[in-house]
Amino acid sequence: MSEDTRFAALVLPHLDAGYNLARWLARNPHDAEDVLQDACMRALKYVGSLRGSDARAWFLTIVRHTFYDWRKRNHPPEMVPDDGAAGDLTVDPSAIDPEQAALRSAESRLLSEAVAQLPLVFREVLILRELEDLSYKEIAHVVGIPIGTVMSRLARARGLLQRSPLLHAFCAERAEVNHELSSS
Amino acid sequence: MNCHRVEALVSPYADGEVGVLLRHSIERHLRSCAACAAKHRDLLALRARLRAEATYFKAPPELRTRVLALLADARAPTPARPGPQPDRWRWLVGGALAGCAATVLAWVVGSAVVDWRANQGLAAEAVAIHTRAVLSDRLIEVASSDQHTVKPWLSARLDYSPPVRDMTNEGFALIGGRLDTLDKQLVATLVYRHRQHTIDVFVRPESTNAPSTLRVVRGFTVARASGFGMDWLAVSDVSPDVLTAFVERLARADASQ
Repeated sequence: MSEDTRFAALVLPHLDAGYNLARWLARNPHDAEDVLQDACMRALKYVGSLRGSDARAWFLTIVRHTFYDWRKRNHPPEMVPDDGAAGDLTVDPSAIDPEQAALRSAESRLLSEAVAQLPLVFREVLILRELEDLSYKEIAHVVGIPIGTVMSRLARARGLLQRSPLLHAFCAERAEVNHELSSS
Repeated sequence: MNCHRVEALVSPYADGEVGVLLRHSIERHLRSCAACAAKHRDLLALRARLRAEATYFKAPPELRTRVLALLADARAPTPARPGPQPDRWRWLVGGALAGCAATVLAWVVGSAVVDWRANQGLAAEAVAIHTRAVLSDRLIEVASSDQHTVKPWLSARLDYSPPVRDMTNEGFALIGGRLDTLDKQLVATLVYRHRQHTIDVFVRPESTNAPSTLRVVRGFTVARASGFGMDWLAVSDVSPDVLTAFVERLARADASQ
């Protein structure tokens, strides 16, 4: 099988997974598209060395590497530290619709926002686990860290999320709105 | 096992990533310690929310097109270095070849995509029903581990009688059933528990010869099989190989009691 046929058969089915990871790492669609396109070029070049089993984890590894290279080129870490505070979220309580359905989607948006604000090292393991459904072993392989580190980073990522002011702010809002709705 | 140790392990435990001995000790502790059990529940709730609500970004169509073009470039034979004067014919031939390559590629990818698409809508709908059911308190309408209770309940409400089997012996405990609307059709849903995972199995009369297929939608696995003249569609967050083996086992005719 030639390289391009292999690419079409093995990598193309995972284009969404690759984009999802790039999008969560880069946190904006523009950069994510650049990273993914670059990653596809690399994947096309090296697809001959992909043996057997897991094309998805293999492609995600490439996407992650490409992102880190891109980040080094474009944002020297000392200039833009990824402390997770770079998200441009504004919570406007007046924008919250009293309808339950709207509440639910606002709540989901805040959840995504809270994930986007996690520091990069925690964000990547969380995305690989919860959205790409990789096992600890696969995550260790993609990120290039020991399984024990995967375990501790995931636990920390979840702890940070549970304590995220974004989620708590919203719960308080909702309690208030619910209270108003029920009393009116 | 003490609370301190359980606290350190509750996250990998919620992921099903601790060994069997450790798992038993943790389970024992969670049964007796309300505080740790609450932490575990919070963690499961967070996981369920992330899987159901965190945005899964799909590759935009333009990006897909660009990647396909990249591939078409790779397919077209690299033209020999043009001579000193521009060679119009080379460009034309090159373009034509690239065009052919793109057409062939589109056909190869297209035929794979058609099959993929055909089931994608159904899979997405099944996952939506599953997550809604798990998050709400409508997971089960008839709660019983007894197949002889669940089956008549379902048969009485449908115009067909789905085969119902408890698979506790194989690690999949039947915990009940309910009715759902899937693909504009009223279907029987069997609910199983495997470790801490909930599995929904939608059972409906086989309309077409559904192939055994597998999808992953937003981190949930959808596995499908046919047997007993039924179409079996299982949805869960267990690993794809476990779910495929389970649904194929359920649908296999020789496994009937």
